[in-house]
Amino acid sequence: MATKQQSRTPQSISIKGSCDLVTEFFKFGVNQILFHRGVYPSDDFVMVKKYGQTVLVTQDLALENYLDRILKQLNKWLLTGSVTQLVLAIIARDTRVTLERWVFDVTVQEPPPTEDEAPPPTKPEAAIQSEIRRILKQIVSSETFLPNFEDPTVFNILAYTKQSADIPAEEWVDTDPMAIEAGKSQQVKLRSFSTDVHRIEAMVAYRYEE
Amino acid sequence: MSSTATKSSTGSHKSNPKTPSRTRAPLTPSLTAGLNALSLGGSPAKRRTHIQDLTGNPFLTLSRPASPVKQVTSGFVVNADLQRQANSGVVRRGGIESRMDVVRHDYFPTTQAKGSPRRSRSMGRLAQEDRFLPRVRGLDDADVASMKPFHPDGSPRHVARLAEAAGININERILKYHEPPPAPSADKDLAQQRVHARSLYQRPGAIGTATSSTVTSKTRKIPTQPERVLDAPGMVDDFYLNLLSWSVQNVVAVALSESTYIWRADTGSVTQIAEAPQGTYVSSVSFANDGAFLAIGLGTGEVELWDVESGTKLRTMAGHQGQLACMSWNGHIVSSGCGDGSIWHHDVRVARHKVCELLGHTGEVCGLEWRSDGEYLASGGNDNVVNVWDSRMGDAGGDHEAQPFMTKRTHTAAVKGLSWCPWQPSLLATGGGTSDASLHIWNITTGARIHSVKTPSQITSVKFAPHKKEILTTHGYPTNSIMIHAYPSMERVAEIRDAHDSRVLFSQLSPQGDLVCTGAGDENLKFWRLWEVPKKKKDSKPSRNLTGESILQLR
Repeated sequence: MATKQQSRTPQSISIKGSCDLVTEFFKFGVNQILFHRGVYPSDDFVMVKKYGQTVLVTQDLALENYLDRILKQLNKWLLTGSVTQLVLAIIARDTRVTLERWVFDVTVQEPPPTEDEAPPPTKPEAAIQSEIRRILKQIVSSETFLPNFEDPTVFNILAYTKQSADIPAEEWVDTDPMAIEAGKSQQVKLRSFSTDVHRIEAMVAYRYEE
Repeated sequence: MSSTATKSSTGSHKSNPKTPSRTRAPLTPSLTAGLNALSLGGSPAKRRTHIQDLTGNPFLTLSRPASPVKQVTSGFVVNADLQRQANSGVVRRGGIESRMDVVRHDYFPTTQAKGSPRRSRSMGRLAQEDRFLPRVRGLDDADVASMKPFHPDGSPRHVARLAEAAGININERILKYHEPPPAPSADKDLAQQRVHARSLYQRPGAIGTATSSTVTSKTRKIPTQPERVLDAPGMVDDFYLNLLSWSVQNVVAVALSESTYIWRADTGSVTQIAEAPQGTYVSSVSFANDGAFLAIGLGTGEVELWDVESGTKLRTMAGHQGQLACMSWNGHIVSSGCGDGSIWHHDVRVARHKVCELLGHTGEVCGLEWRSDGEYLASGGNDNVVNVWDSRMGDAGGDHEAQPFMTKRTHTAAVKGLSWCPWQPSLLATGGGTSDASLHIWNITTGARIHSVKTPSQITSVKFAPHKKEILTTHGYPTNSIMIHAYPSMERVAEIRDAHDSRVLFSQLSPQGDLVCTGAGDENLKFWRLWEVPKKKKDSKPSRNLTGESILQLR
């Protein structure tokens, strides 16, 4: 009994911790994209040390609050495991054409059924961080192949949730997927990272017309 | 067998009201949108072949493992949510219901043909009909298109199948936050500052590096290579100097630090005409309108007057306290712009040469240009100001200071490029430096700004084309280009990218108006044939000046 409880306690902590970790990753990932893709003016961002590297985080209070509200809800969904995908769509401000979709697939990793008492070996924090670091670096380097935006852009965050998800009414509304037409889309798979509970796979799709 | 089907269908009918509304109406916009664009791809055809098989022995369908519906079913067996629905009694996977689906698929075209308005509601009724009448038609594409995927009574399974075919996951909701993200702060001053601080490659008008390096008009061939390149060793790479001049006698003067050379385009001969005094350098050269005299401005503020033919110095006009960066001739008057912002008119005929002083700039005067009729003088300064002076105003000894005829402070960087329009005297073109990089066209009569163009980089010189309604601009880093803009549309006619290895500093037009000579910090002079001289109908006498043609002969 005692051993069972012991094994359960770290498990439950790791779920919560994993959700926080993933949420935090999204915060920096989204900021990174917004900065490097020029959605917001670059002087709105400040450099912050995170994951052993400098990342850029917005200083714009309105944007900060906006992201906070989204991330808070995301955290709740992660805890219940009801979010399957998070998409950051970059849209041309005037024409409302989707130019880029940064897709983060969230999969909950089923813990392998272990009969024995020993909990599955946990992934060291440093390993997770280095994986996150790689994704963030890839986001920066994506700049090299992504087409430049000629016109001002805005962004939108879409959450793909399960049908059963608890959705705060009035705050989140159903939307279209803001997809890019299949013939005009190019996709590049980015790295992924995983915690003990979650696995995040990143992908960027962008509009590319000859 | 048909009775079992009936039973099960009625069973499911009963359970319908229990269906949670969520499963009944997954009418998210995404799903509807996806299904509007629904195409089942190859599957209808496949299904049809199965149905054709079915005509052979329709009774086999029940036990057939390769039933077309089963195939579809297997596609979403994995769906836990669907399974949950199935468990709740709505859809029973693999049960009779699934076979029912076969029937339904076979039949709803029939029901449509019969004019039955609501096919899916009538599951029982369908079953009552003889569903084993071979209906080879099956699911035509047209039928698929006419299906209403989200009929209010559509069974969740049907919806699921359609969603599956359209590649949509109906167990998913796509959500967005109810309010759009905040716009970047709209502080006007900040926005202005951002525009100025924007890096050069992000300027409007900049073309991506991925595109071809040169834009050439389709109607006209514009050479991307110079016709001739002259070496100019020691040319000073200074934006504020004006070290190139091309006279009407087809002689090019170029100053290379202390020495001034002239290159005769007719013969190709190069002679060193002048050497600056010890301790100073040449900061500007300018030919008189008749090409007989060359004015050389020095870093110490003197204007030297040289006879081009004999190569002798005629006089030195001292007085300025700073570097003479620009000069312009108007008959016997040479105007000089000084580093202290003053502009002097020197009368080269009289001993007291300073006949007028114009004080209108607080920064160094970088551009000076007399209108060809001598009525107005345009000056551009490092203080971002463009002034236009009336030639009748101002006097060196007068009590009152001369006021500029027109002052424009629209530019946000030093104004070096100035050009008067040869075909419409009231037009003046000015180009700004690095942080401005825009070309403005002014009507000095009304004082209005007629046109403005943002260019990708620093404008180092502006020239109106003499024979065509076009404007030439030369640019600095990063494009180092020569651009031709159409007037008045201001469209980019041509851009010669990387015309020089470093920023293009000076440009001069040949007397005939077909060639352009550019000088740059890469110590080259390049000659570009950008325009054609319009052919004269009556070519009675050979042109006075031997120009570009002779250069051609040289080649």
